[in-house]
Amino acid sequence: MENKIKELRTKLNITQEELANQAGVRRETIVFLEQGKYNPSLKLAHDVALALKTTIDKLFIF
Amino acid sequence: MLINSNNKTMTLKQFKIVKLAVVFLLAVVFSQAIIFKNYLIPIIVLIICYLVLFYLRGRVKEIIADERDYLTGGKSALLAIQIYSWVAVIAMFILYANRDLNPAYEPVAMTLAYSTCILMLLYAIIFRYYNKYKLNDKKLIYTILVLVLFIVLAIFSARLFSGEDNWICKNGEWIKHGQPSFAAPSVECK
Repeated sequence: MENKIKELRTKLNITQEELANQAGVRRETIVFLEQGKYNPSLKLAHDVALALKTTIDKLFIF
Repeated sequence: MLINSNNKTMTLKQFKIVKLAVVFLLAVVFSQAIIFKNYLIPIIVLIICYLVLFYLRGRVKEIIADERDYLTGGKSALLAIQIYSWVAVIAMFILYANRDLNPAYEPVAMTLAYSTCILMLLYAIIFRYYNKYKLNDKKLIYTILVLVLFIVLAIFSARLFSGEDNWICKNGEWIKHGQPSFAAPSVECK
């Protein structure tokens, strides 16, 4: 699924490691998310959106 | 030290080093157990190692596995079960069909058949549990796993140590006791 995680993360100037810690996942999961190779659970999508100070519908392109 | 003494925590790297050391230790203990024919010590060591790793895992504050790992693990486990079941069943039929060529094929075929049945039974029980109940009740999962393991071990021990349907060494000869489904041991009877 396409998303704006990398774009927003860069804008907020936070690393993948920091985002992973905030979302409670491993860094590799953030890498896969950014590449659109992994569809997250609703909870993870919510946690990532929260960490990037946005909402799920703005973060993921459905 | 592998555990940080100030806050009693462990990094993921330290935990992985310990896990590797435990694997080496188990390999040494198992090989020595086979050489000295002592099978109680490896079981005790295995339980101790499991408990130590379980305790240390709680000391790691970093994320060891997340939802993607569980998803990948689940898919891999299912595929591994399917591959093992197919291979075991085909091998079982081939060995059982050729049991006249070598009597040792029959117990191997039976072991494969029973192990496949137990694996599928366990999978069905765990799948049913996950499908019906909540996914995060770890205490109940561990209780069910321990119970199933205990039942399997109890059946296996009862079958193995019952002395029924076995070969008994008497006056330098292997004598049938009951109806053993396998050939007489190849080792010398003293």
